[in-house]
Amino acid sequence: MNFNTGSRMKKILTLFVLMVAVTGVKAQETGSVLIQNATVITITGEDLENTDVLIRDGKITEIGQNLSAPRRVTKVDATGKFVMPGIIDAHSHLNTVSTNESRNPVTAEVTMEESVNPNSVSIYRAIAGGVTSIHLMHGSANVIGGQNETLKLRYGANVDGMRFEGAPRTIKFALGENPTRVHGQGNGVQPRTRMGVEQVIRGHFDAALNYKRNREEYLAAKAKWDSDKKGTPPVPVAQNLRFDVLNDIIEGNVWVHCHSYRADEILMLMRVFNDYGIKNYTFQHANEAFKVAPELAKNGARTSVFSDWWAYKFEVYYSTAYNASILNANGVVNSINSDDSELIRHLNHEAAKTVRYGNTSVHDALKMITINPAIQIGVDDRVGSIEVGKDGDVVIWSGHPLSIYSKVEQTYIDGKKYFDLSEDPADMRISIDPNDDFESAANFEVYHSGRQNDACLEGAFILNTETIQQ
Amino acid sequence: MRYLFRVLAALVIFVYGSSVIKAQEAPAYAITNVTIHHSDGSESKSSSIVWRDGVIEAVGKRVTIPFDAFTIDGGDSLHLYPGLIDGLATWGSPAPPKEYKSLPEPGNPPYDRAGVQPERKPSELLESDDKEFEAAMKAGFTTAVLGVEGNMLPGQVETFFISPEETKMGLYGEVLGLEGSFETAPGGWSSGAYPSTLMGVMAKFRQTMYEARALQTHIQYHSTNPEMPAPNRSEVLEALFPLLNNTKPIYFKVDSKENIDLLLKLQDEFGFDAVIVSGKEAYARADVLKKRGIPVLASIDIDDAPKWYTDQKKKKKDDDAKEEEITDEEKQYREKQLEAWKAEVTNIKSMMESGIQVGYSSHGLALKDYSKKLEVIMDEGELKEEDLLEIMTINTAKIIGLDRVFGSLEKGKNASFTLVNKPIYEKKATVLKSVSNGTIYEF
Repeated sequence: MNFNTGSRMKKILTLFVLMVAVTGVKAQETGSVLIQNATVITITGEDLENTDVLIRDGKITEIGQNLSAPRRVTKVDATGKFVMPGIIDAHSHLNTVSTNESRNPVTAEVTMEESVNPNSVSIYRAIAGGVTSIHLMHGSANVIGGQNETLKLRYGANVDGMRFEGAPRTIKFALGENPTRVHGQGNGVQPRTRMGVEQVIRGHFDAALNYKRNREEYLAAKAKWDSDKKGTPPVPVAQNLRFDVLNDIIEGNVWVHCHSYRADEILMLMRVFNDYGIKNYTFQHANEAFKVAPELAKNGARTSVFSDWWAYKFEVYYSTAYNASILNANGVVNSINSDDSELIRHLNHEAAKTVRYGNTSVHDALKMITINPAIQIGVDDRVGSIEVGKDGDVVIWSGHPLSIYSKVEQTYIDGKKYFDLSEDPADMRISIDPNDDFESAANFEVYHSGRQNDACLEGAFILNTETIQQ
Repeated sequence: MRYLFRVLAALVIFVYGSSVIKAQEAPAYAITNVTIHHSDGSESKSSSIVWRDGVIEAVGKRVTIPFDAFTIDGGDSLHLYPGLIDGLATWGSPAPPKEYKSLPEPGNPPYDRAGVQPERKPSELLESDDKEFEAAMKAGFTTAVLGVEGNMLPGQVETFFISPEETKMGLYGEVLGLEGSFETAPGGWSSGAYPSTLMGVMAKFRQTMYEARALQTHIQYHSTNPEMPAPNRSEVLEALFPLLNNTKPIYFKVDSKENIDLLLKLQDEFGFDAVIVSGKEAYARADVLKKRGIPVLASIDIDDAPKWYTDQKKKKKDDDAKEEEITDEEKQYREKQLEAWKAEVTNIKSMMESGIQVGYSSHGLALKDYSKKLEVIMDEGELKEEDLLEIMTINTAKIIGLDRVFGSLEKGKNASFTLVNKPIYEKKATVLKSVSNGTIYEF
């Protein structure tokens, strides 16, 4: 085995940059299946024993006992097994081309929609962990980062085919150390401090509102002048992509997901958002959110947290494994996320920790990796629970999903099977670099963990902003 | 009637007279007794070509050689080809700066530091002493579209009659279009700027176009309404007007199928015409490219074959060699690896079969590697000599919109061709003489 850094870097480049083609599955391919006699964890209702779930052409059409299979619909015997909606990860950088456009403190105009690598084998690994949708996020180098993209993990499809059609637009914000380090310390531009972070947000919102007024006035005057040619024509105000997106945020058309840790900065952003009338937002990581749980609940703010990971930098020394449970008990819609290509493979364990630490109910723990993240990214009308009319994104587990002994046996997205433990070849890559010989290519297993990379690149944190994700 | 006669007489004298004057000024040249290879793959033995003033006057078996012609006798053993055309090369481009100063505001760089330099023209920046020009002629090229090395919008592209002599490089015609790519801003980690990612380049492209659009409107308004505030003229943004108004195409260097999709997205938004340059995975988007009529100036700069595959091929020639023992896992990997490589090497062939217009571009390929790459493309890429010739002559000429001037050996076309000691794509073929815009160069 070859673990040297050069070769590993080469491999990363190989996977993420050279996307050599093999397959091109059509967009939104759907399937039909009848899963029989399982314990069905519906999430939004009671658990149903000895129950069948029928998915036809991608949608759940029937849930009940002794359903008969329509012609040509495959039957799967799930006796003794559990069926659960596919896991949704509200914070992932699983298959990005690049994660941070880190050269400006505000980059609302860039979008992860244009930074998706549909060929990454990490997609298959996530499906094998029961994940069916992810919120592919911009990194946290900037105060206002890029727009995120919600994906269904249709491995083998192209970028368009992976897109979660109809999902609301969302955007990444980031408070605290990351943007102040990258921009304040790194480049000597605002923000240098947490005070500066707040002013960057307010300043840009104000500038965006100002632009909107000017642009609308210009467009109206232009339309008038172009038709009657009377008087002096207006001086053009160019369209501004960045300000357009900021206005979309203020108008509620783009939902904010904000990287944050400390309680004071969480309160700060809620105050800013209240000033601009912004609703519908989620705090990501939010390790101190438990301190301000009632305030979060009062504002309708949501949280997406790690189960028990902290102390990886100064601003996140103070935290607790009870964070998720406290937020949940206070009525905050909370999810558990991975933010990592390895952790994403066992989010069920992460959810289980809330039961172990904070006595959260099993039912609520499961909501934190299904319907709650679905609410946070605005796709809860489509996924996150097993209900008639919802998408056929379901997973068959060998046992209860919160048991450490349970395994994902099959994963379906839109009724189409994307993972089957009984047919699981070692090498599921759909894109390889022909220059990679077997010796180095065989080691593609070793660099899937984002955390491992972070640990390796700790010294280069500011320079290598690609790694600033957490 | 009398008047009409006078007019006719004057006309006859004028036409006759001018042709006589012309004949006296420019001598004719001829190459005789050669095998002429045409861009459509046909060949004609014991043929001749006559040109004068940089224009072909006659070509074929029964050609009258003018009495005043300077004649080169091919002795029936040499081969004459239409000059090969490089659809986009960067020969003679000034090299990008080796170092960049760090910027006070990397998020708001000046245009050049963002990689936005559409105002640059090869004809103004060309380093015509570049040794690549001579190497190109020795490889059979006489004509090239040249671009400037840079980033997302590095400059404009123009057509040149190439020459190994600095002073004889000739510009032909107007600017063909703009060059584009998804290259991020230069400067690296320590002094880079926005845009530093693919998604950033997409956004920057859009924003720059929006600003060009506003400036264009401002200039138009101001031209008829001088009482309004004057526009801030910008040669950078104004260079984008042809793209904005779709009067000139963008020659866009792009390889992966995902990035081709992004280019198509920009095309939908701005409505420009595009020519794909390089296009290593264009075969995977053949349908949409054909539908949109987007041609590809293809690269032959493919990766080397997997080493085990090259070794195996060598061993086949050596009967004593033993079969290599490998695990099943490695065997499976090798199959995938070869499949990926084959897809790359047969790109041009599959595009041609799909009905895409395919030309040639060297963009970035050093001429020292040219013949090695050609060999692989022919051995493994299922391309025949006549395919290559067509791609590198008339197809490229059509794509750049200059097939009335370049790309085939016909009366009235530009006198650019190459005399070779054997068929041009054969190993060890040597270019003996090259004619570019009528001027003979000897090697």
